[in-house]
Amino acid sequence: MYAVDRISRWLLLISLLSSLPACAAEEMQVLMVLSDNSPFYQSFAETFRQNLPANLHLQTLGQAEDFSGQNADLIVSVGVRAAARVAKYSAQPLLAAMIPDTAYADLQHVRHGPISAIFVDQPIDRQVALLRAVLPDRQTIGVLYAATRDMSVLRTELNRHHVSLISRHLYSQDTLFSDLNELLANSDVLLAVPDSAIYNSNSIRNILLSSYRRGIPLIGFSAAYVKAGALCAIFSTPEQLAAQTASVTVSFAKTGSLPAAQYPALFRIAVNQEVARTLNIPVKTAEALRLLVEKSSGEAR
Amino acid sequence: MKNKLFIIFCLAARTACAADQASESDYYQELPVVLSASRLSQPLSEAPNAMTVIDRNMIIASGFRTITDLFKLVPGMYVSYYKSGQAIVSYHGSTDQYARRMQVMIDGRSVYMPPLSMVNWAALPITVDDIERIEVIRGPAAASYGANSTQGVISITTRDAGVMGGQSISVTKGDKGVNDVSARFGRRGELLDYRMTLAYTADNGYDSLAVPPNNIPATQFKAVGLLGNSNDSNQARMLNYRADYHPNAVDRYDIQFGFNKDVQGVGFNDKNPNSGNGFKGTNTNTFHDLTGLSDYLQLGWIRSLDDNAELSVRYAHSREDQQEALPIYLVGTYYPGPISQSLKTRRDEIEVQHTVPFSAVNRLVYGASYRTDQVNGQGYVQGLPTPVYLFYGLSPANPSYSSSTSISQYTVFAHDEWRITQRWLFNAGTLFERDATGTPHNSPRVALNFHVTPQQTLRLGVSVAYRTPSLVETNYPALQPGALFIPNQKVISPGLLSEKIVSHEIGYLGEFPQLATSLDLRLFSDQLSRGIYVSTTSNTFVNGLSGNYQGFEATLKHEFSERGNLTVNFAHELAASNGAALAAAGQKIMISNNPLNADILSASTPRNSGSVLYSQRLADDYSFSAAYYRQDAMQPFDRGLIDYQPIQRRMDVRLAKSFNLAGGVKGNLALVLQNLLGQGYTEYVASNLFNRRGYITLALNW
Repeated sequence: MYAVDRISRWLLLISLLSSLPACAAEEMQVLMVLSDNSPFYQSFAETFRQNLPANLHLQTLGQAEDFSGQNADLIVSVGVRAAARVAKYSAQPLLAAMIPDTAYADLQHVRHGPISAIFVDQPIDRQVALLRAVLPDRQTIGVLYAATRDMSVLRTELNRHHVSLISRHLYSQDTLFSDLNELLANSDVLLAVPDSAIYNSNSIRNILLSSYRRGIPLIGFSAAYVKAGALCAIFSTPEQLAAQTASVTVSFAKTGSLPAAQYPALFRIAVNQEVARTLNIPVKTAEALRLLVEKSSGEAR
Repeated sequence: MKNKLFIIFCLAARTACAADQASESDYYQELPVVLSASRLSQPLSEAPNAMTVIDRNMIIASGFRTITDLFKLVPGMYVSYYKSGQAIVSYHGSTDQYARRMQVMIDGRSVYMPPLSMVNWAALPITVDDIERIEVIRGPAAASYGANSTQGVISITTRDAGVMGGQSISVTKGDKGVNDVSARFGRRGELLDYRMTLAYTADNGYDSLAVPPNNIPATQFKAVGLLGNSNDSNQARMLNYRADYHPNAVDRYDIQFGFNKDVQGVGFNDKNPNSGNGFKGTNTNTFHDLTGLSDYLQLGWIRSLDDNAELSVRYAHSREDQQEALPIYLVGTYYPGPISQSLKTRRDEIEVQHTVPFSAVNRLVYGASYRTDQVNGQGYVQGLPTPVYLFYGLSPANPSYSSSTSISQYTVFAHDEWRITQRWLFNAGTLFERDATGTPHNSPRVALNFHVTPQQTLRLGVSVAYRTPSLVETNYPALQPGALFIPNQKVISPGLLSEKIVSHEIGYLGEFPQLATSLDLRLFSDQLSRGIYVSTTSNTFVNGLSGNYQGFEATLKHEFSERGNLTVNFAHELAASNGAALAAAGQKIMISNNPLNADILSASTPRNSGSVLYSQRLADDYSFSAAYYRQDAMQPFDRGLIDYQPIQRRMDVRLAKSFNLAGGVKGNLALVLQNLLGQGYTEYVASNLFNRRGYITLALNW
């Protein structure tokens, strides 16, 4: 009953919008290209499918390599590899979902047709808002990074809150722990960045143990970090990104144009209360923190 | 062209390229659970007991080079030495020379050993630099730590396998033969981290007494015997290895082994015939060496389960072999002997523990353990007069004695931590054991923590603990030459029961972040019953000493800035017992040797004691720390009046400088001066004189 209701409502909406160019007379064809069959792409695909109105005809390619220039009104790529593949072989409108913002500039470079993106990373102001909400007294944030990375936005945002940033560039894998220890000696929070040369499933144990030994909390960027022992993290689930991608797709169906690339509208905060207690850091619940972050970094769009 | 440049850039930046471009998989990758329940230490405000934590920074700042000295930083702890290699670490005042009322653990492995149920600190195969942190629970905690946790628990955590990726060497030279060398190396790998230590430590122990202490005239009976009566040098060679194998995200294996060969000087010369102090020239513990070989192997497996649950299994095998050979004097006659004795101790211990969080506010830890101790002792006496042999049931044809004992015990335990509300935390637990004598005991503990504010906590706790009689107490040896006890094959003290302690405490913990200060206060009242002593009338160990300890302890910590740290500890303690009544009833061992205090328990407990540790990081990579220790005068338990321990005041300072050498070599040079003000003091035995001494340590790592 409910399903019929929803479909009829969508049909009404589509009939109202049918005068718009992109939809023309027939159904719009959406092609989703996943990077590979990893579970998080699958979760994305599942939610995206569920959130798409019935009149949008969806086809899915399970691997980036399956894409060889197939035609569609809109191609939704999921992940960097899929985005790079589509950008290279097609000039159809492309919505690159679940990519880091740093990858977007490269995509725009090789790309000829219309493009937009839903980033996987959180905007800097939101990250800093969480940092301030969880650790209002900490004055020095340490960041260790390996890939070329622009620290100026983070630095400016932190400085705006009277917090200083110590960033250290890692030159070689061999010096990871001596660099880390030097950074930890001068910081009171360690902010993890998605940089697999530093943060990976092998190195994370000694990074967490080193910071824990010094009583310095690590702020992660995914739920797995919090489970591993990070104090907290702010992140968007594949489902949240999929819902946002679906709504952009629907608006594309309406308007025929892609909005500017955007950061995740929906996010989650996870807190490891056990770690918080051990480090003697009183931390609010994840829900209370989410409200605080939303308030100070601007309402989620 | 662009590609070429990229390659050049990659080469220049070495590994920092290629796969390093951030990808969404960084956000969704699975990671191992690193800081699992067993890794995380309990915050003081949530612990069911009063606890003192000595961390790496405090260890360095203290300047101490022996593990036992570190306990001077725990309020209410008595640290002394019978010989410089035979430490007495006890809580609630001094014990006899075999302190055996504390549980001591290294990485969860219990290291107090039979037959005396005490820790042979000199034989531990770790150095101060192998320690990451020490947690000392002040007060009984049998519910969590099992038998022997009657006065408290010392839990030592050694440094992680992955703590270093490189190598270091360290050399220490100083007064009194201080000569330590150590080499360490470690690697961190994808599946295996390990570290290894090779170390040699040596010193000549206490200073030799040239003038009798406490203004006792040298002519007085026994006083002269104290002079030059210091044979307590110590040399230890050791190795320890720790590996952490983590083949996947949920399993972790802790593999450890270690070895220690320790040679220490023991014995006294004041009862030799020529000592001229009135003894009849019978000395069965002349100057000689005691050699110890000890090793251990420990295997641990920890599996992280869903919902923060954890299962751990630990097996440990420890071994301690000691031997000595010495000549003796009998009523003025020298017998070169030698009398030789050896003692072999084995321990196997297995423990299974399951941590189950029922909900975000309730967590249960339960498990079981089984332990077997084997003690084999042998003695061989050569060339003594026939009557002496006959007295001990031996003969010139059969001059040896031996015993072989195997004792086992098992325990089951459960502990629940329940956060009733944000403010109320309830800890309840119990441990059931069937001890070596086959007696069942149940040691419960309950504690209620109330967070008055998020920063201030009140704690109320009650707990019960038992101490199982040691093998020497039940099977007291007939013949006791030298420093070792070869237990009797027969039970000499039948029906001996475990000592019992019931403890009540009120604690307060305040954190004042604005003042960068924390305060930890504790009021306690502990009742000892069925205390074990040697009865003069039956010449066996009996239960019968009862006493109580009441006191107050405080720890204040203050951070002056990022660079200056202060820790102040204070303890005020009063003890009372039925010792005077027992003494009046003819129990000579209960006679207090302090003429002003007839209660042996009270006389042997320093009324006030405390320590101050301050450390400061200075410019140009210099660091400075200073410590001051003070302990009221006291009469060491079971020592004569001549060993009266006057007020102890001691100031230690450390000055260090870090520097960088070519090739990424980092160095640290440190100077430590102990007892800087030269307020020489004696402790436990009056021939143990501690004057000013200093040493220098150079450490390089790369």
